[in-house]
Amino acid sequence: MKSHVRLLDILDKAENGPIMAEKDFDKLISTTVRELIKKYELKYDRKDAIVTDDQVADAFFQAGLELAERVGVYCVSTQRRMIFSREEILEALRWAPAELEIGRGLDRVVVRSRRPEDPLVPINVGGPFGTPLSEELYSQIMESYIQEPVFDSVVGGNFHTIHGREPKTHSPWEVLLAWREVELTKAAAHRAGRPGISVGVVENAVTEIGELSGTSFGGFGPTDWHHVCFTSELKTNYSLLIKVAHLVKTECIIHDFCNPILGGHAGGPEGIALVAIAGVILMAVVNMSTTHSICPTHPFYNCDTAPEIIWAISAAQQALNRNTHLLTTVMTSPVSGPGTESLLYECATMATTATVSGTARIDGVRSAVGVVVDHVSGLEARFNAEVAHAAAGLSREQANEMIKEFQKHYVPLLDKKPVGKSFVEVYDLKTLKPLPEWQKIYDKVKEDVIRLGLPMK
Amino acid sequence: MEKLINDLLNCLDEGDMDKAVGIAKEALANGADPVDLFQNALVPVMTTVGDRFSRLEIYLPDLIFAADVAKAIKDEVQEVILKTQKSGADTYLGKVVIGSVFGDVHDIGKNMVSTLLEVNGFQVIDIGVNVPVQNFISTAEKENADIIAMSSLLTTSMPYMAELIKTLDGLGKRDKFKIVVGGGPVSAEWADSIGADGYGHDAQDAVDVCKKLLAIQ
Repeated sequence: MKSHVRLLDILDKAENGPIMAEKDFDKLISTTVRELIKKYELKYDRKDAIVTDDQVADAFFQAGLELAERVGVYCVSTQRRMIFSREEILEALRWAPAELEIGRGLDRVVVRSRRPEDPLVPINVGGPFGTPLSEELYSQIMESYIQEPVFDSVVGGNFHTIHGREPKTHSPWEVLLAWREVELTKAAAHRAGRPGISVGVVENAVTEIGELSGTSFGGFGPTDWHHVCFTSELKTNYSLLIKVAHLVKTECIIHDFCNPILGGHAGGPEGIALVAIAGVILMAVVNMSTTHSICPTHPFYNCDTAPEIIWAISAAQQALNRNTHLLTTVMTSPVSGPGTESLLYECATMATTATVSGTARIDGVRSAVGVVVDHVSGLEARFNAEVAHAAAGLSREQANEMIKEFQKHYVPLLDKKPVGKSFVEVYDLKTLKPLPEWQKIYDKVKEDVIRLGLPMK
Repeated sequence: MEKLINDLLNCLDEGDMDKAVGIAKEALANGADPVDLFQNALVPVMTTVGDRFSRLEIYLPDLIFAADVAKAIKDEVQEVILKTQKSGADTYLGKVVIGSVFGDVHDIGKNMVSTLLEVNGFQVIDIGVNVPVQNFISTAEKENADIIAMSSLLTTSMPYMAELIKTLDGLGKRDKFKIVVGGGPVSAEWADSIGADGYGHDAQDAVDVCKKLLAIQ
C-alpha cells in the first residue's frame, strides 16, 4: 500500500493540470512517438519474431520513460493533462511492489517480478477474459478453468444475457451483471474445490457502477485483483478514477491494462511498444496498480498475435522487466477459437514470447478475440500456461527460432478468423472434460511443439 | 491529372500541407475545372491514401494529416466554385454523424472510420464517445445527416445500437437516416438482427458501405 499515498495528488492533477483539446493530445502522442523512434533509433526487424538484444530493450525503456514524462496522461473528463516529473515517476517505480500475494488459504499464490530468460516459472491465469458467455453455461465454463491445477488465478467472461434479459452497461443492469459474476464464479470455485482462488474482477464492470457494486459486502474482495485500464492512448477519465479511489479505500489489489492500437496514434510496431511501456509506467503512477498488462491490438484482426504485435510485446516486456521490478502481465488474444490447431500455435507464440521476455504473469486465453459467444474452453488456456512453464529459462535466441516456426501455423489464417467451435461442442458438460476430438488436437500440437524444441511436460 | 495526383501524393508523403494546397491553387489559377480537380485528382489521391492505410503502410496520424489536406484543398475548390457561381457542385459525398455508443469510451476505431470517411469526401460530425441514443438522433436531425454511424467495442454497449433504431422507429423517423454499425464484437448478423442498414467490419469497409448506401459509385 506504500504507493497509495498518491491518490490525492493524482486527483489534484486531474483537476489542475494544463487544459488541452483531446485531438491535440492525440497529436502530441503521435509526434512525440515519431521523434523518440528516431532519437533512440528504434526499428522493427521483420527477420526476428522477438527482440533478443538487451541494448534494444534498454533503448526502448529509455524512450518509453521519456514518452511518459513528456506526454503524461490525459483525463478526458476534465480535458486536462496529468503531467509527472521524471523524479515523481522514478519514485513511484521504486516503491512499486516486486511481489504480490493473491488468493487465500490453500489457493494463495505469490506473483514475483521476473527478468528476461528467468528460470522462475511465471504465475498463470486462465479464463475467457471478457468473452460473452451464455448465462446458463457461465459457471461450467469457469469451472473448466478453475479445475486445472496449472492456474493460479482466474478471470471471468461477460454475460450474453442477464436473468434472460439483454445486458446493458451504464444502467442498473450493470449492478446485476456484477453480482451474477460474483455468484456464478464463486459457485464454480467451490465446486472445483478451490474456494480461495483469486479472481480478476469485475469483468462485467464496464463503468464504475459494476465495480463499486461487485466490490462490496459479500462480493469480490482484497484477495482478488480488480481491473482499471487506460483507454487508448494514455487516457483516463472520472469513471476509471472513481474505480481507483474506491479500490484504494477498500484496500483492494489494482490490476491495470492498456491496449495500444497498431496503426493508430502510436503508429507501427515500434510505436505501440513505446506507448505500451509509457502506459505501464503511467498506470503504475496514476492507477496505483500492482500488476500491469498490455494487449496491443491489431486494427483489422483485433488480435494481439500478429507478428508485428508479438515483436512489440517482446520489446515492451523486455524493456520493463530489465529496467524495473514491476509485476508485468501479458494476455493471449488470438483470432482462432477452440477446436483449431491454429489457436494452440497462437498460444504457444504468445506464452513463449512473454515468458522469455520476463513477464511475471501469463494470462489467457481470449479465444476468437473474445467476441464469439461461448467460443472458449479451459483446454487452450491450460496449453497457454503449460507453454509458459516450459519456456521459463529458455534463451531469447532459442525462443525466437521456435516462435518463427509456430507462426507459420497461424499467420496465414489471421484474416480468415477461424473461430472454431463453442464450449458445448468441445467439452463434455457432465464431466467437464474436453471431448476426444479437441483433446486429440491438443495432444498433436503438444507433440509438434515439443519436436520444435519446447520442453513441455 | 496524373501529374497532379502524383504531386499531391508526394506532398502527403513529405507531410507538407502548404505545398499541397499551393499545387491545387496553382492548378485552379491555371484554369483547371474545380469539380474536375475534386473528382479526378483529390478523390483518387484520397482513395490511394485509404488503400495504403488498409495495408498499414501508413497510420492514423498520416490519415488525419491527409484528411486535413483534403479539407484545405476542398475549401480552395469551394471558393472558386462560389466565385464562378457554378451550381451543382457539392463537394461532399454525404453527411455522417458518428460516435461510440453509450457506455463505451473507446474511440480509436471510431476515429479511424471518421477520418477515413473524411478522406473519402464525406462530411463527418464526430460526436465522440459514450454518446446517449438521444444525442445521436438530435445531432443527426440538427445537421440534416444522411447516415448515423455507431461504434461499439463492448458487447454490453451494443444493445444501445438496437435502442437507437427502436427509438427512431418509435418516433416515426426511421426512414430519415441510414444506420451503419461496427466495432470489435459487432457482426453482420447482429447488424441484420437489429435492422441496421449496413455493417462495416473495418474502417475501409465502413466507407464502402456508406458509399453504397448513398448509391455513390
